[in-house]
Amino acid sequence: MPDDANRNVPKSHRFRKQGFSFERLIRYFFASNAGLTIVILVLIIVFLLKEGLGFFPGYRRELETYRIAGLEFVDISRKNLTAHEQLVSLLNRAYYAEINGRSYQQLRRSEEAAALFNAYTDQTGPTKELILNSTQEGQEAQPAMLAVLRENYEKQRAKALANLPATPHLSAKEREEIISALRTRTPQATDDPALVTRLAEELASTQARHAEPLQAFRATIDSFESASADLGSAIMEMTESVTSTKEALQNADILEKDRRTLLAAANNVDDPAEREKLLAEAKAALAEKPDTETPMASLMERKPDCIRLHEELAKSSAAILPQLPKSLAQGEADRLLRTAKKAWPVFLSDLSAAPAKISSWTHTTPVPLSAAVVSFLTGRDWITGGEWQDFYGILPLATGSLMIALVALTIAIPVGIGSAIYVNQFASPREQAIVKPVIEFIQAIPSVVLGFIGILVFGTVLRELSVMDSLQWVPGFPIEERLNIFTAGCLLALMSIPTIFSLAEDALNNVPSAYAEASEALGASGIQTTFRVIIPAAFSGILAAVLLGLGRVIGETMVVLLVAGNRIKIPDFSAGFGVFFQPSHTLTGIIAQELGEVPLGSVHYRALFVVGILLFVVVLGINATAHRFVNRATK
Amino acid sequence: MQATLDPKPSSPAPSAEVSVAIRDLCFNYGSSQALKDITLDLHKHEVTAFIGPSGCGKSTLLRCINRMNDEIPGTRVTKGSIHIEDINIHDPSVDVVKLRRDVGMVFQKSNPFPKSIYENVAFGLRMRGVKDKQVIDQAVEESLRSAALWDEVKDRLQESALGLSGGQQQRLCIARTIAVKPLVVLMDEPCSALDPIATAKVEELVWQLKNDYTFVIVTHNMQQAARVSDRTAFFYMGELVEYSDTKRIFSNPRVRKTEEYISGRFG
Repeated sequence: MPDDANRNVPKSHRFRKQGFSFERLIRYFFASNAGLTIVILVLIIVFLLKEGLGFFPGYRRELETYRIAGLEFVDISRKNLTAHEQLVSLLNRAYYAEINGRSYQQLRRSEEAAALFNAYTDQTGPTKELILNSTQEGQEAQPAMLAVLRENYEKQRAKALANLPATPHLSAKEREEIISALRTRTPQATDDPALVTRLAEELASTQARHAEPLQAFRATIDSFESASADLGSAIMEMTESVTSTKEALQNADILEKDRRTLLAAANNVDDPAEREKLLAEAKAALAEKPDTETPMASLMERKPDCIRLHEELAKSSAAILPQLPKSLAQGEADRLLRTAKKAWPVFLSDLSAAPAKISSWTHTTPVPLSAAVVSFLTGRDWITGGEWQDFYGILPLATGSLMIALVALTIAIPVGIGSAIYVNQFASPREQAIVKPVIEFIQAIPSVVLGFIGILVFGTVLRELSVMDSLQWVPGFPIEERLNIFTAGCLLALMSIPTIFSLAEDALNNVPSAYAEASEALGASGIQTTFRVIIPAAFSGILAAVLLGLGRVIGETMVVLLVAGNRIKIPDFSAGFGVFFQPSHTLTGIIAQELGEVPLGSVHYRALFVVGILLFVVVLGINATAHRFVNRATK
Repeated sequence: MQATLDPKPSSPAPSAEVSVAIRDLCFNYGSSQALKDITLDLHKHEVTAFIGPSGCGKSTLLRCINRMNDEIPGTRVTKGSIHIEDINIHDPSVDVVKLRRDVGMVFQKSNPFPKSIYENVAFGLRMRGVKDKQVIDQAVEESLRSAALWDEVKDRLQESALGLSGGQQQRLCIARTIAVKPLVVLMDEPCSALDPIATAKVEELVWQLKNDYTFVIVTHNMQQAARVSDRTAFFYMGELVEYSDTKRIFSNPRVRKTEEYISGRFG
C-alpha cells in the first residue's frame, strides 16, 4: 500500500526495532576477532615486502662496486684457478685411494693396533703427565703423592684394558702381544709398543711398494699442480690492488651516508647557529670521490699477461690429460679418476673461453637491476661477511631444501600412506585404537627435541653403521659427516608422517561406504575393493596429504638447522648416491641462523627477508594446490 | 477374507524351480532378533517382492542372501539356513567373495563408482580376472543393452558415470550387476530415489530380465510390488506374515495384518 510506505512504526509498538541489541554486540565481537587475524596477515605480508624488496637495489649496488673495483675481472681468472685446484685435489685423492686400497689389509691392521694403543694413552695420559711432572722437575718428589698417582695410573690402565676396541683384522696373538705390552708399560716409556711400530712400518713399506708402479701418475699430478703457479701469483697481486679500491669505495659510501644524515638533521633544527654547525660538519664529511680509474687502468694493463697465462695453462693441461692412467684398480680411486677426466673438457673449454672474456671485460658496463634478481635466483654461491665479495645466490640453499624434502618424502609417503591404508581398511578396531593415537602422538614431540635425538642417536648410529665392512656396498658409505642431508631427511620424514597419515586416512574415510558395498556386492575381495575402488576414489585426497606433508617439510626449520650439517654449498652430485650423505644448508635454516647476527637494514638482512618471501610463496602455493585437491575430493 | 495365521507359502506354480531356499532363518543384531524363523522359497525366472513396514526385516533378509550383513559387526545367523543350489551359504567353507559373484545386488541409492561408464560395467569382470578386451567389450555392450541404457550412453562410454541422471545411474548399476551373469539379483528399494518416469523404466527392465535371473525386490511402494512381482512376501516385526502369489495377496490376502498394510491402515 503506497500510503503506508512512508509511515514509520510507532515508537512504542512492539514490532519496533530496538536501537541496541545484545545479539549485535556479540556479532561485532566475533567479527572483530576474525577481522584482526586478517589485518595481522596483511601487516605481515606488507612488512615482508617492505623489508625484502629493498634488497634488489642494494644488491645491485654491491654488484656494481664489485665490477667498478675490478673484483669481477679478477674472478674470471680466479674461477679457473679454483677449478684447477679441484682437479688437482681429485687426482690426489684418486692417487691415495689407489695406494690405500691396495694396502687395505695393512692399513686396517695398523689402524687397529694404533686404536688399541690410543685407547690406552687416552685413558692414562693425564695421570702419566702428572707423574712425569712430579718426578722430572728435580725437586724432591713427595713419595705419598707419587704413590697415589701411581695407584691411579694402575686404575686407569685396568680401565683402559677393560674397554679396548675390537680388532677384526689382527690375529688373537697379535692383539695379545699389544695388550701385554700395554700391561707392563711404564709412565716413562716414550716408544710405541713394538708391534704398533712394526705394523706402521709394514704399512709404510707396503704403501711405498704400491706407490712404485704409480710413480708416473704421481709425477703427472705434480707437474699439473705446478702448472698454475704463475697464474696464481698474478691473481694474488691483482687481488691486493682491487681490494684496496673496493675499500676506498666503501668508505666513501659510508661518509656519504653520514653526510646525508647530518643534512637531514640540519633541516630539522630550528636554531640557526646549530644548523650552521651541522652543515659545516656535513661539508667536512663530503668525501672526495675515490679514484677508481688509475688502479683500473693498471689492472687493464695486465690483460695480455692474464691471457698469456691462461693460454699456457690450457696448453699444459691439455697435454696432461693423455698422460693420466687409463684406469685404476681400486673402485673408489677409479671413480675419482673418471670424475676428474669427465671434468677435464669443461675445464679446458673454460680456459679457452677465458681470454675472450678477459679482453672484452670493461668496468663501465652498467649493472641492471635484473642482474641482481638473476644473481639471487640462480647464484651458486651464498657468501656473506667475507672479505672479498658477498654473494646472495639461493641455489645451494634451495638445493639443500629440495634434497632433504626428497629424502623425507621418499620415506614418509610409503610409510604414511601405507599405514593409513592399513589402519583404515584392514586393521581391527583394537589395532586402530592403538596405531592412530601413536602415530598422531609423534606430532606432539617438539621439533627441537627430535633434533637432538637426531644428532645424538641417529647421526651417531648411522656413522657407526657406515664404517662396518659388511655395509660398504651401500653407495656413499663410509660417510664423512655425521650430520647430513640423509639424517635431516629421515627426521623430517618422521615429522611429516603424522600429517600425511592423518590426512590420507581422512581421505580414505571420506570415500562413501556405498562404493565399498557396491564393490563387495560385485564379488570383489577386500584387497581388490581397497586398491581398485577405495584408493582411486580417495586419490586426490591422498595427493593433498602428500602436498601438505611437503609443505610441512619445506617449512620446517629447527630440525634442519640442528641436523642438516649447515654447509652452504651445492652438494657434489658426482658422488652418486653419496650426495645424500653430504651436509647441506636450507632456506629456512639460513634465516634462523643468520637473522640474529646481521646489521639491521643491511643488504644481507634484506636478502634473508627475500628468502622468507620466497618460502612464503612456495609454501602458500603448495598449500593452495593441496586445498584444491581436497575440495575436488569432497565434491 | 479369511484370517489365518499360517505363514507357509502357498505354491501357485509348482512347476517353478526353486533357486534360493530359506529355512527357519533367525538373525540377530547383537541381542535383538531381527528375523524370526523365516521359511521361504525364491523361484527361478520370477520376481519376488518383499514388502512390509520399516524395520520389519525385509532388507535384513535380502542382505542375508548375499551375506552383506557379514560386514556389520555384531550380526549373526542364530538358526536356520539359506541354500542356493543345495549349498548352505552360511557354511564356514563358503567363500563369501565367490558367493557374491552369483548373487548380485542393486542398492537403494544408485552408487556407480567414480569411474567411466565402461569401467563401471566392466568392474565385476575385471575382478574375476578377465583380461580379454574383446570379451569385456562384448559383455559391456550386452549388459548395457539389457539394461536399456546402450542407446543413451554408447557415445560416451569413457565419460564419468557420475554425469548420468539418477535413473540412468540406477540402470547402470543394474547393468553392472548383470554383466557378470549372476543367478540371483537382489534389489533393495531400487526406485525409492527415482522420479516416476525413471521408476517405470527400471520396472520395465526388471520385467524383461526376469526370464534370465531370479529377482528379489524390496519395496515400500505397494503399486510397484503389484506391478513387477510374481510373488509377494509380507513381513511384520521380523516375521513372515504371508507369502503368496502377488495377485492373490493384493486381491485377497489371507491374513488380516496383510490386508491392513496393503490398504494403508498402517506402515
